Amino acid sequence: MRPVTFTPEEKDLRLAFLLVLLAGAIFYTYVAFVDLSFMTRSGRLGPGFFPRIVGVAGVFFVGWTILEALRDRQALLVDQAGQRWSDAVLLIALAIGYAVLLRLFGGFPATVVYLALALSILNRGRYLQNGILALAIPSGVYLLFDQFLNANMPPALFDLTF
Amino acid sequence: MDIFSDLIMGLSIAITPINLVYLLLGAAIGMIVGVIPGFGPSAGLAILLPMTFGMDPIGAIMLLAAIYYGAMYGGTITSILLNTPGESATVASTFDGFPLAKNGRAGPALVMQAVASFVGGTVGVILITLLAPMFAQVSRSFGPPEYFLLALMGMLTLIVMIGENWRLGIISALIGFALGTVGVDLETGQGRYTFGSAELIGGIYFIPIAIGLFGLGELFYAFYQGLHRFGTGGIVNYENEDRFWPTRMDWISTRMTMARNSVLGFVVGVIPGAGATIASLMAYSTERSLSKTPENFGKGEMAGLVAPETANNAASSGAMIPLLTLGIPGSASTAVLLAAFLLWGLRPGPLFMEQNPELAWGLIASMYLGNMALLTISIFAIPLFVQIIKVPYRILGPTVIVVCALGTFSVNASFIELYIMFAAGIVGFFMRLYGFSAAALVLALVLGPLAEEALRQTLTISRGSFMIFVERPASVWIILVTLMLVVMLPLLNRIGKKAQMVKKLDAG
Repeated sequence: MRPVTFTPEEKDLRLAFLLVLLAGAIFYTYVAFVDLSFMTRSGRLGPGFFPRIVGVAGVFFVGWTILEALRDRQALLVDQAGQRWSDAVLLIALAIGYAVLLRLFGGFPATVVYLALALSILNRGRYLQNGILALAIPSGVYLLFDQFLNANMPPALFDLTF
Repeated sequence: MDIFSDLIMGLSIAITPINLVYLLLGAAIGMIVGVIPGFGPSAGLAILLPMTFGMDPIGAIMLLAAIYYGAMYGGTITSILLNTPGESATVASTFDGFPLAKNGRAGPALVMQAVASFVGGTVGVILITLLAPMFAQVSRSFGPPEYFLLALMGMLTLIVMIGENWRLGIISALIGFALGTVGVDLETGQGRYTFGSAELIGGIYFIPIAIGLFGLGELFYAFYQGLHRFGTGGIVNYENEDRFWPTRMDWISTRMTMARNSVLGFVVGVIPGAGATIASLMAYSTERSLSKTPENFGKGEMAGLVAPETANNAASSGAMIPLLTLGIPGSASTAVLLAAFLLWGLRPGPLFMEQNPELAWGLIASMYLGNMALLTISIFAIPLFVQIIKVPYRILGPTVIVVCALGTFSVNASFIELYIMFAAGIVGFFMRLYGFSAAALVLALVLGPLAEEALRQTLTISRGSFMIFVERPASVWIILVTLMLVVMLPLLNRIGKKAQMVKKLDAG
């Protein structure tokens, strides 16, 4: 880990992340003060006691970090070696796509479709290997969860017959 | 004598065929988790926790514990052959492990790391056997004030260990505390932050958050770093070496190193927040300063590999003491283990060993067997793990996402939890990227409800007075120990960082 200079876009993204945290902390604190009582009717500490402490501390520390970040925009440490935003974003997009597929088509079909798509993008040109993996991994996972562990697999909203 | 009869009872439980299968499976999975760079024991435990739900609790806890300490063994294989630590606790093993492999001594290095891990792990379990009942005895006088202070100590030490990014560590912990307050308040029955959702009444479960942060978050970060593009071209080919087994000199020269660092690692492991990484770096630094030939460190000195390996395994055993006897996890991995206990309705703490002797002693006995199994596996299954190292991240990545998603869904058949897991994965990536601590968040998520309950009970007992914390001798002791750790731990951290810096300067 070494201190490095962020690109302007990365600085903005870091600041945006901190601002989202601040918004969350303010909302959390607001609910703690408005909806949750500090004391119960019997005079004991109420459900709002702990959230108020956490919320106020959260607003304070996130606010402080934002001020520091604005004052010294190179304050945080990031290892920049070999960073590839596009690859991380691609994988995140694939993961979100998989979540949608699971809801629509259920565990096994969604996993086959997702793996076929993900491997064709990430493991380009290896058609046979990708095809085998896209069928073998879901089959293995299905056997493990559904047959061996007797666990729940996501049901389909639209039934696809494979 | 009681300890020995308890241990024999534990062995009789651990040696059933099915439990032995779970133990071996856990050890092998732990090693696989260890050899995958970017995945530590916390990720492995979180991802695999849902798969243990159909099992008997004793077998499941044995399996999860074996994954936990097995990862320490596996992480070193990549440190030696690839110069890439499988997890943070094996960073120090690259300092001399990889130079040994480059000098044509990969075989002896792999065998010696397995033996050192075995010695550290076994000495650690012996110390657990002897000390855990004592710790439990002492902590029996603890009440809500002490439990609140212990939870605070666990959080404070972890945040102090984060170092210069401590403010981000506090924010991470506060996010964990905040998530822990979602759901029905058990004392008043009032809903908090549920916003009318029936799925949130029971609170935000630990599993989707842990799987998202440790499993997906780490994976996204690995892709961000480009791990899927590097491949494994730099792996040292140990098969063509003249000699696989260590020499007589290797054994003799490292005897005292193993003895010293087993104790050092264990002591550091018991301290909440310190953990195996600090233990291994401290061991390396101490061994170098005690050596008659410190100039050889970093160039392929066997003691430089054996010291951190012994210490990190002893530390992982040491971390079980506060978990079992106080119910306070000192690290992210032990937090996942605590969550596993809680999911089975078991509450580790002072009375845990007395009320669940079969489980507690079965677990301790299984750790002796697990270390033996890992010694064998890590020497004779090296070719298999080398093949696993060669599986490219571009295939591993999508597969891990599948296992994380289906594992999360299998727990409660909840799509909400599935979405929470994916959200936690994205948040975990940004947290990792910007220096926040996923470990602090997870620890706070586990400790938060316990701390809140203890604090409210404490203030009810004292009628709102905080003076109760300085009126009880046990509380005063905990406060003093916490203050001592808060002062001491940054120094230990500095020793560890110094060892890394010296190594970098040597390399330069």
